[in-house]
Amino acid sequence: MVVKVENLVKRYGDLIALDHLNLSVGEGEVFGLLGPNGSGKTTAINCILSLLKYDKGDIEVFDKPMTPTAYELKRNIGIIFQNVAVFEELTVYENIDYFCGLYVTDKLKRKQLVEEAIDFVGLNDFCKFYPKKLSGGLLRRLNIACGIAHKPKLIILDEPTVAVDPQSRNNILEGIQKLNRQGTTIIYTSHYMEEVEQICTRIAIMDKGKIVASGTKEELKGMIKTGEKITVEIFGAECAQTVGIKNIAGVNSVECVGNTLVVKSQRGKNNLTEVVEYLKQHSIGYGKIFCELPTLNDVFLEITGKQLRDNA
Amino acid sequence: MFLHIFTTRLKCLMRDFGMMFWTALFPILLATLFGLAFTNLSSLDTFKEIPIAVVDNAAYQMSPGLKPALEGVSSEGENKMFLLTACSEEKAAQLLKDDKIKGYLLPLEGDKLRVVVKESGISQTILKSFADHYLQVSSAYKEILMQNPSAIQALMDTTQKDVNYFKEVSTDAKPDDTLVYYFALIAMACLYGGFQGLKEVSAVQANQTCQGARVNLAPVHKMKVFGYSLLAAVLIQILTILLLICYLYFVIGVQFGDKLGYIILAVVAGSFMGVAFGAMVGAVMKKREGIKIAVIIGLSMIFSFLSGLMFPAIKYIVARNVPILSYLNPASLISDAFYALYYYDTLNRYFLNIGLLFGFSGLLFLIVYFIMRRQKYASL
Repeated sequence: MVVKVENLVKRYGDLIALDHLNLSVGEGEVFGLLGPNGSGKTTAINCILSLLKYDKGDIEVFDKPMTPTAYELKRNIGIIFQNVAVFEELTVYENIDYFCGLYVTDKLKRKQLVEEAIDFVGLNDFCKFYPKKLSGGLLRRLNIACGIAHKPKLIILDEPTVAVDPQSRNNILEGIQKLNRQGTTIIYTSHYMEEVEQICTRIAIMDKGKIVASGTKEELKGMIKTGEKITVEIFGAECAQTVGIKNIAGVNSVECVGNTLVVKSQRGKNNLTEVVEYLKQHSIGYGKIFCELPTLNDVFLEITGKQLRDNA
Repeated sequence: MFLHIFTTRLKCLMRDFGMMFWTALFPILLATLFGLAFTNLSSLDTFKEIPIAVVDNAAYQMSPGLKPALEGVSSEGENKMFLLTACSEEKAAQLLKDDKIKGYLLPLEGDKLRVVVKESGISQTILKSFADHYLQVSSAYKEILMQNPSAIQALMDTTQKDVNYFKEVSTDAKPDDTLVYYFALIAMACLYGGFQGLKEVSAVQANQTCQGARVNLAPVHKMKVFGYSLLAAVLIQILTILLLICYLYFVIGVQFGDKLGYIILAVVAGSFMGVAFGAMVGAVMKKREGIKIAVIIGLSMIFSFLSGLMFPAIKYIVARNVPILSYLNPASLISDAFYALYYYDTLNRYFLNIGLLFGFSGLLFLIVYFIMRRQKYASL
């Protein structure tokens, strides 16, 4: 195992930030840690990295106990923090070179690694720029380059796309997948379920310091009753008129807010035809209709009873 | 690894324009303002020959040693101490009355010598010391010639050595206050090195900055990175203070004496003190950076005020009434090191200040070490 956490407990006074957390990450995985803000993702990462004291539990990285002085383990770990961790007084090149230099002392080798990292994140045209001259997206890329330049075997990304424009976000996600294809194990924390769905091979959903579900995205979606979600834009009707949809065989739930109707069906059931027929019969006008499979948000909602997004 | 961290931290410090303004430019601006305010206020402290007279009477002419002795300390050269006028007793009395001379020597029969002065002071004390020494030596010569003529050579070897008519006490003449201002300004600039110490502590503490967290995750001991970074901070601070001293000396015309090596040692001690002071504030306080900066500025100003930055007399008031405070106030120690170097012939007081500065710096660094050596944090 690249990372193995057993019964990790971390308390801040009376608040239990991590409640007997267990997780394991295998070699070559892109492991997603999904949860709303305050669910304990970053705390878990900081404990794994031996930055934070914890009350109880065991943490192993590369099958060895992780400690603050486990320098051989640290040499193979790269971290990309949620906040940009670079020095304002150093240029793009100097920042990457400085942090890489804490891992690689050979100057020639380091030069090559720094150039590869710059190339990887696409900052070739900005080498002499100071961080304050970079846009938010470019700054995130610099942050990533600082964390990966020394070619670690395990890269931990803690919400690296917060406040990043869509184009930069795509670049970052593609980069992570590229690193994984090169053999790097990735731990990716986020509260953006789309990102986690897009890149992670295995996902753990966290809430209140616990892993509430884990598996591949298909496995996670298989854990809930909802198999399909139909969203309909309705006109000229009261929500009360749609209550009868719930009587259609296979329908789990009906939600109507304003002019948006959401019908959730059991797995294996496709109720689209019946729903449209119901609307016609009851003279309810309808516009756009979407059919979609359940998302991780639906999984989170069904398991915890609350929206992932609401807390994000 | 050392060079990598050291040079990178040098770059970071030098490119922090806000900090460089306060540590390098602000003291220079303040020095310029002092210079404009104090122009021509004082030209004290370069030793000037003391105008005296000797009564040219029969006893003076008959005395075998007095004339050569006086010529020895009033002829051109580095030993020149007196501006000598040989004249009648009436003329000498008139010169003294007109304040043209500080005193006069009246040779009397029997190789006696009377010192006539109008008031007491440093110049009169020096004249009296000279007279006493002359009488003592001439008496010794006479005695030995009568009793043991063979020992005369040994006596000559002893008495021909330079005699120091000064001792390690401040003169009863009032010291130049403007120098106190400038020395206190240097002390303030040294303590502003605290900004650099604070910056280096923040740069390696995971619970203070993200950069610190990144350093903590690297396969190198945090205290090693911190140590190398601190050396860079101290070097920058030393260069900054040397720049200030060069500006004071070459542009403003402030005199520091001629003991260059000791001046540099004082700069080094002051720089260590300043950086250690900021590092301790950074390590001990659990507040945000803005508050820590405010504390460094506030304490620096209080320390500097007590060392005479705004009101030179406070230095003497504190030294007289609460002497322990002078030994605990780093700004007082720094400014007093320069003061002692300039005003005193001996180095005892200077070395006491320097020793205390290095001692306190070491103590502060030790406190910082014990606080920062922890490797895991309770919260981030």
